[in-house]
Amino acid sequence: MKRYPSIHVATWFLARLVPEGERDALVGDLVEEHALRAATTSSSAALRWSLQQVCASVPPLLWARLRRAAWIAALGVALLAYIAVGVVEWIVNRTIPSPPGTGTIVNMLLALLVPFPMVALIAYVAARFSPRAPIMLGAIMLVMVTLMTLTSAERIPTWYRIAYFLVGPAAAFIGGALRSAAVKKTNGLGT
Amino acid sequence: MKGSEDGLGSLEHIVLLAVMRLGSNAYGMTVRREIESATGRDLSIGAVYATLVRLESKGFINSFSGEPTAERGGRAKRYFRMTAAGQGALRNTHEIIHKMSAGLKGLQSL
Repeated sequence: MKRYPSIHVATWFLARLVPEGERDALVGDLVEEHALRAATTSSSAALRWSLQQVCASVPPLLWARLRRAAWIAALGVALLAYIAVGVVEWIVNRTIPSPPGTGTIVNMLLALLVPFPMVALIAYVAARFSPRAPIMLGAIMLVMVTLMTLTSAERIPTWYRIAYFLVGPAAAFIGGALRSAAVKKTNGLGT
Repeated sequence: MKGSEDGLGSLEHIVLLAVMRLGSNAYGMTVRREIESATGRDLSIGAVYATLVRLESKGFINSFSGEPTAERGGRAKRYFRMTAAGQGALRNTHEIIHKMSAGLKGLQSL
């Protein structure tokens, strides 16, 4: 087999642009066509063509990688949404005092009910930026509530623990579902 | 079915047609050369490959690895085949083009 050492520069660079599992197919295609062109034209023309190919391949391959990494963007949006939930919850807890004469159960119910629309609204807004963000937000909330439950020494009724597990993720999913329904409705009206 | 609702972009359309024309010999290099010989468009290998991967993620084609060959430096080919969803997408796109171009007398003089 005839070898063209300089093609290695092009293949090395091209290989960096795609995930490891896909390198062989793409680089192999370049090597095969390079060899075909070298046989029919000249090795320098084939090398020039290969280098042009690699340069022209940079934008579409980078764009493809970015598109595939959409879940990273979704995770980023979900984390920001989680921070937003924490900030709003802190503000609500500081500004809304407990009603006078209310007992523990009323306080616990308020602690469950007040965040519900707030989380749903934040999930709705997050879904505008990334449709998968509400699901990730729900998952993050589930993990955080589990960690807090495991590390907390507070004596809390079981029903409250169970409800606390459900409220945050459920609100996040509902917020995402509402956004999804709104998008479908808009698309339906647009066609 | 995932992606079956999605339409075809112009490059996706061309690449899917090339896969169809090549049949059992459709892989990155042959797809690129097929488009070049049929249309004169010198697409980059990366653009073709990214489009093939996108079509696969939409469920319009599927792929499998071939045997490594010496002319590829011991690297395996990745063959692509059109799926039923891909055929459906092509049919839909052609129907749309046919409907939109029907009766346009000025089209041939463009």
